[in-house]
Amino acid sequence: MDDLKRPTLDSDFTCDMAFNKITKWAQKNSLWLLAYGTGCGAIELSPTMTSRYDWSRLGIRGSATPRQADLLLITGYLSTKTLKRVIRSYEQMQDPKYVIGFGSCTINGGMYYDSYNTIKQLDLYIPVDVYINGCMPRPEAVLSGLAYLKDKIGDKKADGWIKYKQNFEWYRENQKKILKSFNGDNMPDKYNW
Amino acid sequence: MGFSKLTETKVLLKQYFKDIISIEEGGEQRLIIDLQSKDITSMINHLKDFMDFKHLSMISCVDWPEENKFEIVYILTSYSKNIVLMLKTKIDRKNPKLQSIMSLWPQAVTYEIELNEMFGVFFEGNDRMGEEFILEDWDDIPPMRRDFDSLEYANKNFKFRDERKDKKIIREFISEHYDEWRKK
Repeated sequence: MDDLKRPTLDSDFTCDMAFNKITKWAQKNSLWLLAYGTGCGAIELSPTMTSRYDWSRLGIRGSATPRQADLLLITGYLSTKTLKRVIRSYEQMQDPKYVIGFGSCTINGGMYYDSYNTIKQLDLYIPVDVYINGCMPRPEAVLSGLAYLKDKIGDKKADGWIKYKQNFEWYRENQKKILKSFNGDNMPDKYNW
Repeated sequence: MGFSKLTETKVLLKQYFKDIISIEEGGEQRLIIDLQSKDITSMINHLKDFMDFKHLSMISCVDWPEENKFEIVYILTSYSKNIVLMLKTKIDRKNPKLQSIMSLWPQAVTYEIELNEMFGVFFEGNDRMGEEFILEDWDDIPPMRRDFDSLEYANKNFKFRDERKDKKIIREFISEHYDEWRKK
């Protein structure tokens, strides 16, 4: 037994850190995505998920309810009516959760810059971890964005959900500017998870 | 020797409704009928019950602010005659009111709610009038009217992202370097 070499542990390597490492590894390799397409961008997801580009390689798959999902994709333009549903779905998702803004429309309105019912900047209303540029982004770009998000999760930089809780009132104020009837039974005023 | 079904329909309609403003052929198997707003319900009733126009394709609206009118357009189809029929009527833009046809086709309710929301046309007899259909929390004039300025509304209500800090025009940058990148 004495001949066997044992790995030497660093002095600051604790059980907690090991647990953290394992959870990060698990989180970044099993992203479940809420199967919810808000705009035309959802059409690019079908080639991305099927055999040619196959996002199951990255550990990604769809999930039916927000309670099981880790990742919310805002695919393309987001109308004010949909924004209400998106906020509600986002707040129901379990921590940790990530958001990807998909396409030009989420960045600055895109070709709907003069539309009366689509929002122009997504990150005023929900925190965005990664933006994928393009109108529409090709599946290669989508995969690149997802890989970037995985790296970010590994480096613990994808902390949009923490920011949302810390700056909750600021986000709510922005949301209320667009959704004027933002209370009552339809839309709770508090964080709703 | 018989008339074609199109001519037959045209002649019959001219006989029954003396107040029709104009009736003309708008292409192959198509009729365009212009009539006064008071006749529209009786005309549609007659077409559905006695002339076999059983299918309501759609109801639409055109805004004419120069004439101060809304033009409501009904499109009906007959499968036995193979004719598409367009009924047009102009109503006052200040007080736009028309009889609902929900008793004939229940699906007309949806079109009528949409026109009410997008143009402000009121359909009498439709009990779901004023319901929110697509727009929620809307507080401006109906957005499909031509005097509604969409860009102005967007500027007022939404915040646009600021410019790039380095003022780089990204399209020019890409087009300059595109060939280099391709060679790699």
